[in-house]
Amino acid sequence: MEFDWQIFVDALTSEAFVSGAALTIGLAAAAQAAAIVIGLGVALLRASPIAPLRWVAATYVWLFRAIPTLLQLLFVWNALPQLIPSLRDPWFTPFLAAFVALALNEAAYMAEIIRSGLNAVDKGQVLAGKTLGLTSGQVFRLIVMPQTIRVIIPPTGNEFITLLKLTSLASVISLRELLTITSQTVSVNFRFAELYTAATVWYLLIVSIFMLLQSRLERRYQWTSRAEGRRGAAAAVPAIVTVNR
Amino acid sequence: MSIDPAPTVPAEPGPMIEADNLVKRYGDFEVLRGVSLAVARGQVKVIVGPSGSGKSTFLRCLALLEPVDAGRVVLEQRDVSWKVGAGGGTERRLAPYRSQLCMVFQHFNLFPHLTALQNVMVGPMHVRHTPKRQAEAEAMALLDRVRLGDRAGRYPHELSGGQQQRVAIARALAVRPRVMLFDEPTSALDPELVREVIDVMEELAAEGMTMIVVSHEMRFAHEAANAIVMMDEGEIIEEAPPDRFFTAPGHERTQRFLQLVKT
Ligand SMILES: Nc1ncnc2c1ncn2[C@@H]1O[C@H](COP(=O)(O)OP(=O)(O)OP(=O)(O)O)[C@@H](O)[C@H]1O
Ligand SMILES: [Mg+2]
Repeated sequence: MEFDWQIFVDALTSEAFVSGAALTIGLAAAAQAAAIVIGLGVALLRASPIAPLRWVAATYVWLFRAIPTLLQLLFVWNALPQLIPSLRDPWFTPFLAAFVALALNEAAYMAEIIRSGLNAVDKGQVLAGKTLGLTSGQVFRLIVMPQTIRVIIPPTGNEFITLLKLTSLASVISLRELLTITSQTVSVNFRFAELYTAATVWYLLIVSIFMLLQSRLERRYQWTSRAEGRRGAAAAVPAIVTVNR
Repeated sequence: MSIDPAPTVPAEPGPMIEADNLVKRYGDFEVLRGVSLAVARGQVKVIVGPSGSGKSTFLRCLALLEPVDAGRVVLEQRDVSWKVGAGGGTERRLAPYRSQLCMVFQHFNLFPHLTALQNVMVGPMHVRHTPKRQAEAEAMALLDRVRLGDRAGRYPHELSGGQQQRVAIARALAVRPRVMLFDEPTSALDPELVREVIDVMEELAAEGMTMIVVSHEMRFAHEAANAIVMMDEGEIIEEAPPDRFFTAPGHERTQRFLQLVKT
């Protein structure tokens, strides 16, 4: 059997594949965003002066990192509705279940990343902010956060790519994401090579676009003054201003 | 021009800033063992002393960046002390006083994600709530004053140490402090960059800024200080005007310390 380019292109551009890819991106982005927010909360709790709060946060990280993601997904989709009757209603869709499971799982990893990012900020930065009369909240928002973000962009990018691929786990709860679509189509026409390649191309495309966005974000956090043509040249002159007194 | 007949405001009776018997412990270790120091408006006092004697800790306590175990910090007759174990809301109460007791650090501690100009604008915009335009104009004027107007758009890592420290001084000035506290402002600098920072500090002193300066720059101490304060093992053991301090120190430990610094 030869590789049929027509089947490949048709699948690649089919409505099912496009919507599957969109669902994959949407699910990963939503879960990642929620994970950052929850992770920040957990990271802050882990640095809390109140011991029980630190324990709660540490337990969360331990639990959600220890249990396989697939099991968490199955738990949210199959077990939770048995425990909570209202989850049996139609509003609790596979997308929502996958979102909840992936966000909670990812939050445990983000908490650790954000915690180390917060620790990476020099304590002198906080002192410098406070001596100007900034409140603790202002110091956090204006000084600590931007410096933390810079540190956590690369590992968070890693996490997001992992998450993109983890969305394929949701095929077990019949969420119509990219891999589910592929499997369903394959089961009809058995063109494994063409369809798997089409799915591969979509994943490559999504990850490439994302990597581009990440590198632009990283550049924004370079904190280097723009190459200033003439002013840059002027800076080559010895910078020390000598003062005659 | 007519002479204003209004009576001049009587000089304030007490000092601008006063440390009254400050005690600070880290665990069992008593870093400050009852330190008292008073500085009048417009005075400059230089603190010297061996490494580990508690100079930085003393400044941080004065700047209300660390709570003290006992004693008082008095700013213009007002007790603004921050005691260990003070309840919630303390930091919010302290914030306005902190900006009046602004500290300049040994390692500059400029905000790396902000340009020189933005570093100086932080105080006016977020502490004094000055509109952005005006904050920018004020910051620019301050950068000019420390002779860095042409570096306003640079990020800290694009500046030399001496330039960074001058930006840090401008940043502190931007919150209009009543007292400035300098912790070894030139000791992280290459020798050829020390002068440009000292020049700015001497100008501030000449303009009447009340200053407490931890520094072993003997030239600054000679030219700008009203008094030199010797600290050792968490205590102030001697205070004297520069002439007497350097020529005829009263304390034997001071003599030994001066020998070390000179060599
Ligand atoms: N956060 C802290 N926790 C525990 N001990 C500390 C802390 N900060 C300072 N110390 C100790 O307190 C003592 C005084 O330190 P401090 O930094 O005030 O000295 P210093 O006079 O500024 O010294 P140097 O000239 O080296 O800067 C030192 O023994 C130091 O180890
Ligand atoms: Mg020190």
